[in-house]
Amino acid sequence: MEVRLEKPGTEGVDMPREALLTSTLVELADSLVDNFDVVDLLSRLADRCVEIVDVTAAGLLLGSPDGELRLLASSSEAVRVLELFATQTDEGPCIDCYRTGEPIVNFDLGDAAGRWPKFAPKAVEAGFMSVHAIPMRLRGQTIGALNLFRAHEGALREIDVVAAQALADVATIAILQHRVTSDAQALNEQLTQALSTRIVIEQAKGVVAERADVDMEQAFARLRTHARNHNLRLTDVAQAVSSKALPVSSLDG
Amino acid sequence: MTGGRRARILAELADGTDGDVTAVRLCEVCRGVTGMSGAGIMLMSGDLPLGSVGTTGTVSALIEDLQYTFGEGPCVDAYKLDRPVLEPDLADPAVLRWVAFTGPAVEAGVRAIFGFPLAVGAVRLGALNLYADRPGRLSDDQHADALVAADLAAEAVLGMQARGSSGVVAAELEHGANFQYVVHQAAGMVSAQLEVSVGQALVRLRAHAFGHQRLLADVATDVVARRVRFAEQDASGGPGAP
Repeated sequence: MEVRLEKPGTEGVDMPREALLTSTLVELADSLVDNFDVVDLLSRLADRCVEIVDVTAAGLLLGSPDGELRLLASSSEAVRVLELFATQTDEGPCIDCYRTGEPIVNFDLGDAAGRWPKFAPKAVEAGFMSVHAIPMRLRGQTIGALNLFRAHEGALREIDVVAAQALADVATIAILQHRVTSDAQALNEQLTQALSTRIVIEQAKGVVAERADVDMEQAFARLRTHARNHNLRLTDVAQAVSSKALPVSSLDG
Repeated sequence: MTGGRRARILAELADGTDGDVTAVRLCEVCRGVTGMSGAGIMLMSGDLPLGSVGTTGTVSALIEDLQYTFGEGPCVDAYKLDRPVLEPDLADPAVLRWVAFTGPAVEAGVRAIFGFPLAVGAVRLGALNLYADRPGRLSDDQHADALVAADLAAEAVLGMQARGSSGVVAAELEHGANFQYVVHQAAGMVSAQLEVSVGQALVRLRAHAFGHQRLLADVATDVVARRVRFAEQDASGGPGAP
């Protein structure tokens, strides 16, 4: 089966929903390789949700390190405004879902004024009738929520909920993977940087040892003394000596 | 499947330690779970070896030294190609994969050698090398274990650096490592002897090592001890130098 499609469902033929879901999962999984743009991935996920699941609009929110939810993607401007409102007022299905890690399914917005007094009227005003929130969760850690809005009557079927959760799960894995990679990138750069700093110091010791006819320990002492006397970083002195910008004869000590 | 392997190797790592996993211990576990004769972990950057984080013994250390000296070998290839490099019969005269590396490695008793990339996600750190004192392919099981062991080793190396202070190589990582500092000291000396940059001096040192069939670290030790001196007229590369 050909599943690699740029825009599932826009081929003129109505793709069966399972095929669309499969192709989307493959598309999301494909983005797991190398570095990818998280916002781009989530925007695609929001768009695909609307195509696959029987909803009108979708929004994706991710928790920041300080625990605040931030809107990262939405399938429509109405949802963008609504989700921003929810995060500003700290109220709404996405907030509850993120905090509890539990899905909220088929919540009738007409009956929601008691639960979300600020959010519910705004959502109704935007034309939505019901709302759903799916946690983005892996091994007990909830990193965000997928919010789905319906502008028409009727409940979301079980199969829709399962599909939405599957999409949210793949996105969660992609994002966590991305975070691990970013951390690893930073640590690896630190390590390589630390090693090259050390290497430059060793090179400078060699230059001093040769020019001043001293051993490595004495060479290091001269570099350090010069750095201290002139209030310079040892690394900078070493770099200058190693590149011959600073002659050994001008070193103190 | 992979989860089971991972858990088994992690348990092996934790066994008999108080959660303190040194790089040498890491190598021993990599060797043990794959049933090889020895293992070593090499760090790389920009296609050049930075040095060895740890090895299980003298032969594994020599394997890393040879690759550091000649810039070729299974780790270098695994890192560059970002995939496992498998040489089940290193002594087979029909396949001379590494011109400078193979001879001395075979002489030291290496008969089969395998390099596995050390990476966390898309971030590449270096490579794990495993050798056997007899020729033979890795079984599917050994291959799968080696892949998981390399992943765990990569995470462990970064974990050690994460626990250290920033700006310096973590002490935990220096312990048992060989970052060939003497080579850089010698490069500094040779750069002063020849009035060239340290980069050019390193090239001259490498050429000398290659020409004299010696390890870079040994040549460097002689330079630092002032037993070897580079002079302008010196044909330091010797025969066969690039």
